[in-house]
Amino acid sequence: MSPTIKKLFVWGNVALVVLLVLSVIRDQSGEWKKYQKTYYQLEAKELETKLAATTDETEKESLKKQIRAKEHAGLEIKQFIVKDLGRIDRCVTCHVGMDPLFNPTLTNNFTEQPYKAHPGDFLKTHSPTKYGCTVCHQGQGLATTVKDAHGFVEAWEKPMLGHPFIQASCAKCHQNFESLPGAEVAADGRGLFVKNGCYGCHAVKGWGGVISEDLGEVADKPLARIDPAAFAANGLPRERWSAQSWITLHLTKDPMSFVPGDPEGHMSAPISPSGMPPFYLELKEDEAKAITTYLLSLTAEKESLPHKFFVDVPVKPEPAFKSATEHGKFVFQKFGCAGCHGVEAKAGRRNFNALGPNQTKMEDGREPTLPDTVGTFTRDELRAKIQNGVPSVSINKFKTDGPTPPLYMPSWKEKIKGQELEDLISYLLSIAKKTEEW
Amino acid sequence: MKDFKLPSPEEIKKIVTDSPIWRSVFRGGVWKDTPRDRAAHIIGNVWLHLHPVRTRLRGLRFIYSWGMGGISFWLFLLLTLSGVLLMFYYRPAVDLAYRDMKDLQFVVSYGWLWRNMHRWAAHAMVVTVILHMIRVFLTGSYKPPREFNWVLGVVLLTLTLFLSFTGYLLPWDQLALWAVTVGTNMAGATPLLGNEGPFSSLLGMRINNDVRFALLGGTAVGEATLIRFYVLHCVFVPFVVGAMLMLHFWRVRKDSFSAAPYSANEEKVEVWPNLIVREYLAAALTTVAILVWAFMVNAPLEGAANPTVTPNPSKAPWYFLGLQELLVYFDPWIAGVLLPNLIIVGLCAIPYIDNNPKGVGYYAYKERPFAWTMFLLGVTMWFVLIAIGTWFRGPSWAWYWPWESMLTHKPLPPRTWNVPNLLGGPALLAYFAGGLALPRLLKKDLDWKVVIPAVALFSVAVAIAVKIAHAVFISNLPPLAQMLPHLDPASLKYGFVSTLLGIGDGMPHFGIGSFVLVSIFVFLLSFFGVLMPQRYIRNMELLRYVAAMLLVLLTLGVLMKMGARLGFNIKYVFSIPQVNFNI
Repeated sequence: MSPTIKKLFVWGNVALVVLLVLSVIRDQSGEWKKYQKTYYQLEAKELETKLAATTDETEKESLKKQIRAKEHAGLEIKQFIVKDLGRIDRCVTCHVGMDPLFNPTLTNNFTEQPYKAHPGDFLKTHSPTKYGCTVCHQGQGLATTVKDAHGFVEAWEKPMLGHPFIQASCAKCHQNFESLPGAEVAADGRGLFVKNGCYGCHAVKGWGGVISEDLGEVADKPLARIDPAAFAANGLPRERWSAQSWITLHLTKDPMSFVPGDPEGHMSAPISPSGMPPFYLELKEDEAKAITTYLLSLTAEKESLPHKFFVDVPVKPEPAFKSATEHGKFVFQKFGCAGCHGVEAKAGRRNFNALGPNQTKMEDGREPTLPDTVGTFTRDELRAKIQNGVPSVSINKFKTDGPTPPLYMPSWKEKIKGQELEDLISYLLSIAKKTEEW
Repeated sequence: MKDFKLPSPEEIKKIVTDSPIWRSVFRGGVWKDTPRDRAAHIIGNVWLHLHPVRTRLRGLRFIYSWGMGGISFWLFLLLTLSGVLLMFYYRPAVDLAYRDMKDLQFVVSYGWLWRNMHRWAAHAMVVTVILHMIRVFLTGSYKPPREFNWVLGVVLLTLTLFLSFTGYLLPWDQLALWAVTVGTNMAGATPLLGNEGPFSSLLGMRINNDVRFALLGGTAVGEATLIRFYVLHCVFVPFVVGAMLMLHFWRVRKDSFSAAPYSANEEKVEVWPNLIVREYLAAALTTVAILVWAFMVNAPLEGAANPTVTPNPSKAPWYFLGLQELLVYFDPWIAGVLLPNLIIVGLCAIPYIDNNPKGVGYYAYKERPFAWTMFLLGVTMWFVLIAIGTWFRGPSWAWYWPWESMLTHKPLPPRTWNVPNLLGGPALLAYFAGGLALPRLLKKDLDWKVVIPAVALFSVAVAIAVKIAHAVFISNLPPLAQMLPHLDPASLKYGFVSTLLGIGDGMPHFGIGSFVLVSIFVFLLSFFGVLMPQRYIRNMELLRYVAAMLLVLLTLGVLMKMGARLGFNIKYVFSIPQVNFNI
């Protein structure tokens, strides 16, 4: 044998043995082990202070025994196997204090994660052995490393929900979340969703406008259907790419800036940018958060929850109104007219490349500002307009060879009828600016 | 008691090996390291007896064999071992498979290690099998009496790819689902047997009874596909590969082990330890490499498979990306069925076509210039296609240079155009007829010092001619849309005028890049398609010559079509859409 082969033989074997030893070490040093060990040590320390304070011999003996048990506790994967939901959650492998099997009171004095007990008394009413963790918190229950488990990794599209977005999970089961203590942000979000007229364009499970996407399962929107350039343009790192970020972006940035379309037709026929009006100008940060929270409760997961999990709520009757115009104002809000015509019909919102007053560029296109325009209609004309709508091809464009404006007035014939329609018309005529009588 | 002494290691060894138990298990007596012992070690050991007792040193050299056959076999064993271990945890059902992968990654002891090793060893095996084939070709080791073993090798290569491909689906993540969807869709384009292939209506093929349906067990990748691929991957194909390997090894042994040529008084060395230590080393170092790889990089696992969410782009496994890239240039039944089958048949045919007796058992470029050049051209094209598919194709299969971010949006590709059949048909005929005839008709030996510059000049002249034709006929035309705004361009497919207009649309400019491209491609075609065969194989017997030239012309044809499509937006050179015959 040549010396080279002898050398290779020796070093090859050394490398092999080293790697095999390393693989044992790596397999035995799971990231979770240090957290579980620290938890037991913290508990042992607490018992030791107790031991120092006590004088009763039998109690001392018992405490010593307990301390020994804590110090020598075997480390293991702990998990909730949630049959009803088909989930396996291993979160308590590190968050031992939240496991009723090891911490029956579900309280402790530790203040730091992952050692502290679950805040509030949620676990009293939502036993983790029955519900697990991820049904509320999201994240990757099967994982046992910090990064993977919390779900901020590429292959996991539902990372953990932070505050206040976690309230979205209350609304998944509690249909009465609008009056549920602890779900105030989600409730506010739903209120803002109605008030700003989001329903006008976006239906939720079929109820609402047809102009844009149905948001009934928006929390599940797969990343493959979102243009990654939109995230990148807003400086979001890869691990923050999620449906949550996508929703928030729409409420805190101008949607036109990250869904720019191709209005000049560089790539093919002109495509207008996102038609969503710039709500970020009107919404405060916590309002945007509230709407995001509400929308994150809209998920197909609801469909797979066992019916016994649901807390139902009787349908609320609509309030009584003193006058026709007051009822009309309510109808205006109920059907989401504010989405395009502005809250309380104050000012028309942006509609790209639609012809508006004092226009210099396509971005200045506007939906009609109703107080300025409804006065020129008779009652019958207004009724026909609402019933028939204005298809996008009939909208006057600012730039004739530019893209078709994204927003249009759908036909409301099937939705707004009878008394609602009449009172809506009365309301609209009541807000019309009075033109000078000649 | 004070006289008691521990026996020395030598004594212990003797006691153990002389014991009746040891003797009953291992044949032969005490190991004395004599030549007789070493020979008996090979002959008397069931695992080693496929080796000869003595072999020639020159066949053992790494620089000669690259060790790739042995390494491929070791990887196969490693894959079997890791695969069997993974089978203890993996359940092939759509609700469970993905969760089991997560369990392997996070909670199964050494699950991460075995899964990573399995994944990377599988990729490595595809590479080593291909390298093994390249080495065997370059040393001419497929020549008689080893022709059939080369054919077995090609079959084993195909089976290796199929093993890897069937394994791709099992993690049941997005990568798996869509890679397999792309791969199996190609099967749907098989002529006669696939529901989207030409002539399939003759056999009454529908989406639910064609060859793709048989592969998937349904009309889309689903539960039935998973269990099918699982059985193929874990039982059926490994079994076939095992049987083929036995044959392969048996033939290696019977065909005098190494093709390295004999020389007078050549010294033979003992296989134990000289070959065995090399085999052990190859296996050990391969294992070290796979272990390091498994330590550094985790096997990929994307989100759970979701048939309603298609990632863009959806890419096949890397070793099939060349075929997927071919879809840009050819219809699916050509790119996905005809060409791969031609590659397999062509590879199998090589030892029966190549009757050059020289260059067996050593690297002999000078004695086999034609064989080396054409084989390496084919291999290069295969890997260039894979490289394009891997690194140059982004969302919607648009072309992205490495310095361009895949997050930027690309304009729609320019409109493609078809060469009218009246022009393309004769061109195609001329390509094959002329390509077959020309090298054989030129009887004289050509002086390359003169001919190569002449061909280079000719190539430039062709480019100039094309440039002039473009300037006269095409670049002055207004764009199609402007000229015929009321006509649907698709309905204008066959008129000559509309073709010119189509060229004008698809190729408004003929700049310096196009000029260079035409020159280079004409030169490549003339050199590889005419000069090389004219010099080296024009005197072959007719049948062999035709077979060889057809393989050469098909290989170059693919290259030419790539140039035509990438450089000049030509979709079809010749097209009979009624029978799906579009080239």
